[in-house]
Amino acid sequence: MKLKKIILPAIGPIFAILAALMVGGVILFIMGLNPVRAYSELFKLGMGTYLGITESLKKMAPLLIMSAGLIIVFRAGIWNIGGDGQFLIGAIFVGGIAPLLVNEFPPYLYFSILGLVGFFGGAMWVVIPAMLKAKYQINEIIITMMMNFVALNFTAYLVKGPLIAHPGRYPQTIILPLEKRLPLIPFTEIHIGLIVGLIAIILVHYFVRRTTWGYEFRLLGENKKAAFYAGLNIKKVTILAMLISGGFAGLAGANDVLGIKGSFQGEWNPGYAFSAIPLVFLARFNGFAVIPLAYFFSFLAIGGEFMSRAANVPVFFVHVIEALMLIFFGLSEYIQKKGKLFWKF
Amino acid sequence: MEILRAIFSEPFFVILLGGTLTASTPIILAAIGENFVEAGGTLNLGLEGMMLIGAFTAFVAALFTQNIYWGLLCGMGAGVLVALVFGYLVIYLKINQIVAGLGIHLFGLGFTSLLFRILFGREFPIVRGITSKTAIPYLSQIPYIGSIFNQHIITYLALALLPIAWWVLYKTNFGLNVRAVGENPVAADAHGVKVYRTRYVTVILEGILAGLGGAFLSICDLSFFVDNMTQGGGFIAIAIVMLVKWNPSRIFYGAFLFGIFHSLTFGLQIAGLAVPREFILMLPYVAVIAVLCILARNTRLPGAFCLPYERE
Amino acid sequence: MSEVPQTVIKMRGISKRFNGLVANDNIDFDLRRGEIHALLGENGAGKTTLMNILSGMYQPDEGEIYVKGKEVKITSPEDSLNLGIGMVYQHLSLVPTLSVLENILLGTSKRFFLPKKHTEKKFEETTKHYGLSVDPDTEICQLSAGEQQRVEIVKLFYRGSEVLVLDEPTSVLAPLEVEDFFKVLKNVTKAGKSVIFITHKLEEAIRISDRITVLRQGEKVGEIDLKAVAGKKEGEPLGEEIVRMMFKDEEAKFVEGIKKAPKKTLDRAVLTLEGVTAKNDRGVEALRRVSFSLHRGEVLGIAGVDGNGQKELAEVIVGQHKVSSGKIVLNQSDITNKSVKFINERGVFYVTEDRIEEGCVSNLSLADNAILRCYKKEPFSKRGMLLNLEAIKEYGNELIKNFSIKAPNAEALVRTLSGGNIQKLILAREFSQKPIVLVCNKPTHGLDVMTTQFIRNEIRTQSARGVSVLLISSDLDEIMEVSDRIGVLFKGELMDILPNKGTTKEEMGRLMLGLTDKGK
Repeated sequence: MKLKKIILPAIGPIFAILAALMVGGVILFIMGLNPVRAYSELFKLGMGTYLGITESLKKMAPLLIMSAGLIIVFRAGIWNIGGDGQFLIGAIFVGGIAPLLVNEFPPYLYFSILGLVGFFGGAMWVVIPAMLKAKYQINEIIITMMMNFVALNFTAYLVKGPLIAHPGRYPQTIILPLEKRLPLIPFTEIHIGLIVGLIAIILVHYFVRRTTWGYEFRLLGENKKAAFYAGLNIKKVTILAMLISGGFAGLAGANDVLGIKGSFQGEWNPGYAFSAIPLVFLARFNGFAVIPLAYFFSFLAIGGEFMSRAANVPVFFVHVIEALMLIFFGLSEYIQKKGKLFWKF
Repeated sequence: MEILRAIFSEPFFVILLGGTLTASTPIILAAIGENFVEAGGTLNLGLEGMMLIGAFTAFVAALFTQNIYWGLLCGMGAGVLVALVFGYLVIYLKINQIVAGLGIHLFGLGFTSLLFRILFGREFPIVRGITSKTAIPYLSQIPYIGSIFNQHIITYLALALLPIAWWVLYKTNFGLNVRAVGENPVAADAHGVKVYRTRYVTVILEGILAGLGGAFLSICDLSFFVDNMTQGGGFIAIAIVMLVKWNPSRIFYGAFLFGIFHSLTFGLQIAGLAVPREFILMLPYVAVIAVLCILARNTRLPGAFCLPYERE
Repeated sequence: MSEVPQTVIKMRGISKRFNGLVANDNIDFDLRRGEIHALLGENGAGKTTLMNILSGMYQPDEGEIYVKGKEVKITSPEDSLNLGIGMVYQHLSLVPTLSVLENILLGTSKRFFLPKKHTEKKFEETTKHYGLSVDPDTEICQLSAGEQQRVEIVKLFYRGSEVLVLDEPTSVLAPLEVEDFFKVLKNVTKAGKSVIFITHKLEEAIRISDRITVLRQGEKVGEIDLKAVAGKKEGEPLGEEIVRMMFKDEEAKFVEGIKKAPKKTLDRAVLTLEGVTAKNDRGVEALRRVSFSLHRGEVLGIAGVDGNGQKELAEVIVGQHKVSSGKIVLNQSDITNKSVKFINERGVFYVTEDRIEEGCVSNLSLADNAILRCYKKEPFSKRGMLLNLEAIKEYGNELIKNFSIKAPNAEALVRTLSGGNIQKLILAREFSQKPIVLVCNKPTHGLDVMTTQFIRNEIRTQSARGVSVLLISSDLDEIMEVSDRIGVLFKGELMDILPNKGTTKEEMGRLMLGLTDKGK
């Protein structure tokens, strides 16, 4: 019985993945590349090598953290697509402040504070869209998307200007020495950001289903009118949901700066939100489903990088696969509900 | 003092006004398309992806045929293809419009960059000399503002399309059907209006316009293609449509506003001012947000906005 | 000699099923030229489904349709309109932001362009003929319900309809407006058009129609030719015969209901409104200086044609709508313009008329809906933070039992429930948390007889326990059956409050149209 609950919903995403890979293979073939070789390199390097697995697991962390935030806000029916901008602001806050605190605090306090700084940065970046939506019903989709572009340019300006470590040289904030970055999980080369991500996503999963605040978010997302009727303070809940999701995005930014890069570099924009949004949909907003999907997405990204060097396939291919997955997922949802594909006009 | 002299110099104005119109053209075209689509009850967040695919296809076609018309045509055709897919997903399969739109955007980004790498590797081809501006005699020689009258044909076309779009939406049967379908598709259906077909037509129309807009960008405006060259223009178009409350006659102002800030970058550089580049790049987006704050409060969306239609 | 009446429409053996529920079961129906044929039956009997098949919204699973002798397949509303069949739906299908003229033109032309000038002339002629004098450029949302209804009728004639199908047309009209409406119908049939009139109101069917077809639970249970019956003298009265057709014998008695003995003396006042004025969503005044008191254990009925401020009255009391002036006091505490939560915590509960869009969340389970008001309280959540899923499920099952809700269990999604059961769930939820004041807006609208009686009994039970009930309804029978006192709302003004005993429908009908002894 419990198994049925897991298998049936999984059909959609699995179909989507397979179909997307197939279509992707066709595209590669048309482009004159060898899909078999490309895919075998992808799987071999991404899943078969120690490096591949490690890198994939490392890259999972920001995806997990971001997905956690997205689950909350999407369940509340609010479309915060500014995750990338919030990520960058959180990252730059940490990039700028971390070097100042490097020697002031013992490690765990240091990382906790910086985590909060990142969270705060991301949340701060979502305050304007949140207030505009709550007070004036201005559509958050557009505002958060605009804020992405503003963040991109603003952080680029900061990193080339006021926050530059060595003026005249490559634009980045002061680099944190290796010892001062996020500690690694014992016996591995993966930093603890992965653990943070796993905790975050599982916490959020239960938060949405088992707490009263989670109930309120779901209520708002399912039926705004009924939520108002039930006495919910819509403005408060909206702002709260958005702040939490922005905060998580910022936390993901902190994670990347502290764990992987050690500084905020140049015109950096990894675009995790772009992957996290389809991811969260494919997972049907289920935290536990996000975990394997996040691994798959990051494995695709890492494998994509390897693939581009080995089999001559550009990295952007991965984006195409992600988009195809989303589309096929929608298709499979529809077929499951209706069972047919065509209508009369 | 230096600054004032720089701003009031002729080159600055030429760049600013003329450049603005050119920069606004793709946005105007995309906004007209989105206006119809949204008036019909659909939201297309993949507009940016449509424009990118149009830009890329047009660029490649123009490069290989060295003919601007083939380029534009292929751009529009590509836009239509994407529109057909998007329309199918969202109108017939009733996939969540926001998700499908972002998916198309993602696809557009990835696919165009992918193909570009595959076709050209690390080279950077340019389409040169196949387009030119058409100067309106006498008017284009007026100092300072003459550049307004020295634009590509497509720009004039885009401007002419604005009142035409208004007329189509408010004064024709088709426009009436679109508005009815976007507001109350159940009633429209009961009156014999074909809901699916009407919405599909709006999406295809948008595909043509967005494809044309993208084509203009890569062939006429910039003569090359780079990753993500639309730089959020599609989303600006969506913002503008919401701002003007789905009335095409006002689209010009929104597009012009964006275009001005966009051209400011070049204009200030020409004028010799050293303002940090990123700061200016931020301005168009900040401007859009600010205008939305002021003018788009409590906007009432069309009744069936973003909702798929099902005849129960 | 009278000519043999032609049969304009014939429906034979029509059956339709929805997800295993049989809506129409082998129904035969025909319509003669120039007649008014009532389709009578309780809510849920299948009348609207049958007509939706005729109008092309649904396809029949079995059966044939003949129009003017020829068999036809009606696959879309367009087909139906082309055959000359026009339907005016219960939820008026006009587009509110478009103008009258635009709505009439909608769907009439295949061409790209709008033939505006030619239309305006034809519009003038048609509207004058049917007594509708409106500026064609007015937006629909600015017209009254009665005017909108007439726009819909005009539109059908503009399209050349020969057959008019009207779904519960009098539900939006005051008693006097109903008279005018019937006159229009008579004119229309004299001009050679035919009318099918869907209703659940027996007296109207008897008054206006030439023939009545009675449906019950998807089946046709009888047909009465009123012209033929008019001659007879013996036999049971027509009304009772039809009632017997509509219900089993026991149910018929049940339908009569137990008329409540209205209270003679009033207990202390629990809820008081003083000079309450409020604007509606469009900025027009919806309530004007409304003042009254609701007493402990009393059922105060508020009658009135829909759209005269009822929704706003309910919403200002429960906190969903702002009052621009005046005061609302609940047991000595001022609740004017306080939040929904604040007011609800003090014992005010609300059964909204909008049951699917507002009263429940269709994608959540029955249990999740049941705790909509009380999820922060024990035992449903620990310290208002962690939900106690077991307790919530138990509560859901309890409500199912106590209110006879037809649902498999508390985890069933609300959208799988029928309208009547959804309403029972809403009632169960609002009635079970020890309310002090219950605001009920059209609680039995569109429900079948059994559920309606159940709900009315529940209201009486609550009032007997000392709960004060404000019953807002456009169904005069319901108000008269349940209330102790009756108030009438007209254009936002509370016209008068009368004791139930001794007040006639005519008196109330006049108040509902704004006619008082003093004025007009």
